[in-house]
Amino acid sequence: MSTLALSVYILMWPAIVAVVLVVISSGFFREWAEARRNGRRMI
Amino acid sequence: MDGTETAQFGALAVVGLLVLFYGGTFLISTRIGKKDENADGYMTGGNNIGFGISAASMTATWIWASSMYASATSGYTYGISGPIHYGLWGALMILFIYPFGKRIRAVAPRAHTLAEVMFARHGRSSQLMLAGSNIVGSLISLMSNFIAGGVLISLLSPFTFTQGVFAVAAGVLLYTLWSGFRASVLTDFVQVVAMLGAVAVIVPFIFFAADFPAAFESGAHHLTAQQGNFFSSEAFMQQGAPYIAAVLAYAIGNQTIAQRLFAVKESLIKPTFITATVGYGAMVIGVGMLGVLALYLGFEPTGGDLNNLIPEMAAEYLPPVLLAFFFIMIVGALSSTADSDLAALSSIVMADVYGQNMTGKEKANPKTMLLIGRLTMVVATAAAVAFASLQLSILDLLVFVGALWGALVFPVLASFYWEKVTNKAFTTSVLVALAVFLPVRFGWIPVDGVFGVAVDVLSVAGIGVVLGLMAFGFFGLKPAKVIAVVAVVASAPFAIGSLHEYATLCGSLVAYSVSTLVCWAMSARRDEHFDFAVIAERTGDFDDGAAAAAAESVGAGTGPESGVPHRSGDSDGGREPAGSAK
Repeated sequence: MSTLALSVYILMWPAIVAVVLVVISSGFFREWAEARRNGRRMI
Repeated sequence: MDGTETAQFGALAVVGLLVLFYGGTFLISTRIGKKDENADGYMTGGNNIGFGISAASMTATWIWASSMYASATSGYTYGISGPIHYGLWGALMILFIYPFGKRIRAVAPRAHTLAEVMFARHGRSSQLMLAGSNIVGSLISLMSNFIAGGVLISLLSPFTFTQGVFAVAAGVLLYTLWSGFRASVLTDFVQVVAMLGAVAVIVPFIFFAADFPAAFESGAHHLTAQQGNFFSSEAFMQQGAPYIAAVLAYAIGNQTIAQRLFAVKESLIKPTFITATVGYGAMVIGVGMLGVLALYLGFEPTGGDLNNLIPEMAAEYLPPVLLAFFFIMIVGALSSTADSDLAALSSIVMADVYGQNMTGKEKANPKTMLLIGRLTMVVATAAAVAFASLQLSILDLLVFVGALWGALVFPVLASFYWEKVTNKAFTTSVLVALAVFLPVRFGWIPVDGVFGVAVDVLSVAGIGVVLGLMAFGFFGLKPAKVIAVVAVVASAPFAIGSLHEYATLCGSLVAYSVSTLVCWAMSARRDEHFDFAVIAERTGDFDDGAAAAAAESVGAGTGPESGVPHRSGDSDGGREPAGSAK
């Protein structure tokens, strides 16, 4: 593998991790806000 | 272990970080704590948890400290494909298990444990086999997480291994004890945010701090031809293949996964599992890449102990603030899995030992169940701390338990789809598979003769079973049979005569194939027609207050049917919770 390809290969995983972090966090806070609006517990 | 020589944090800093982490999670758990906890809520959180918490919890539970250490070890040992052969297969198993999860949830919508469902499907021996293996697996997992905490603290601070183990054990027990599973999944969100955030920052930071990408050229001579090959056969045979076989069994045999399956809102099973697949894979592979970087750098962990690899890479290249993030990441990973193990163990003892076997479901007292659940957590923590002092080989134990669970996979899954499987077929197939697995795994019989050929043939059949089961979940029976046959035919010429040299892989594959063959042989000609609708009636809430709790968690609209177990009408999980106003 070339140096560029190796760099992309190594660094793509933390980038995907960041995307998953955004997806999970947005889901959590959306449900939190909805629960507060409806006056109920999240869990 | 003396941590004073390599200490990176002062005693005060480590105590501060631990107080910050465990104090914070404890405060979060108090936000949902109730004076009178509900027994069913303590085990599954009311079967109605949303996507954010569920996806975070599934991801956090599947990731543990050993995942990160083992992935980095794989990268360091097998080169650039090493982390893939650890993380990708583990991630795909979450994905492969999700269609089975939908089926399991459809036939047992308000169950608490898989063993409880086996009791409803077959009876006591099947239930106790699954529950017993769950308990052993969770105790090993709990112990290994405490060990990882002890090692980390001793490596990065002046405290000893034993002090580290006690600190982690007390911290986890503190926030999990009162609210059980509910506390576990809520704190998982915070822990997963810390873990994912740390990986997103730390891996790129170390990459540039260690002078990559230039080091790819200057350090290329540190790699062998196999280590530099993305399609390394050595990496696949030594790491990937045994792991593929083992983790399917993990997903089925591990109560922590089943517990989350029963907890998430049924319509959210698919997005939860897909998100956890991507999150787990990216995180574990990402951390594993630190092992690849270490290999290029010619980095030598202290004493040749590969468990020191990640902490020492972090200590070498991270500034103090990011090293603190790293510390929190590892503590978060091990704590999220340890609290899940405690919740799993308490649920098994509450539902399977007390609820189903000691009193019977109708006579079970919810308050007594809660007391038993909390006592279980205390006893399990004490036992895991005691075992941790033995410093056993965790990965060997896990591979062993994974193979044991391999014997359960087909009988358990078939029990959810095939009405002909009986308790006798289930029990016999598991016991025979274990009897064949043990001599293969531990080399009790020489494999250079006829026995070796027999092991190869059974292992090839095991390849067909594993791939067939994966295909069955997504595509149904006919494509699964085709894929299984193709896998057997394609692998036989290469495998027969040589596969027995890989004892770990063969042990797992033989466990799969023997249990499948025996279970099939004992069931195929039976004239049984089990009614799966019975399972939903036999499993369900123990606590009369569950209806109120469920209604409270979904808002207004409480109806007279609240809390009554419902059967799902479709496998996509369109069922709304009882009493829902939606």
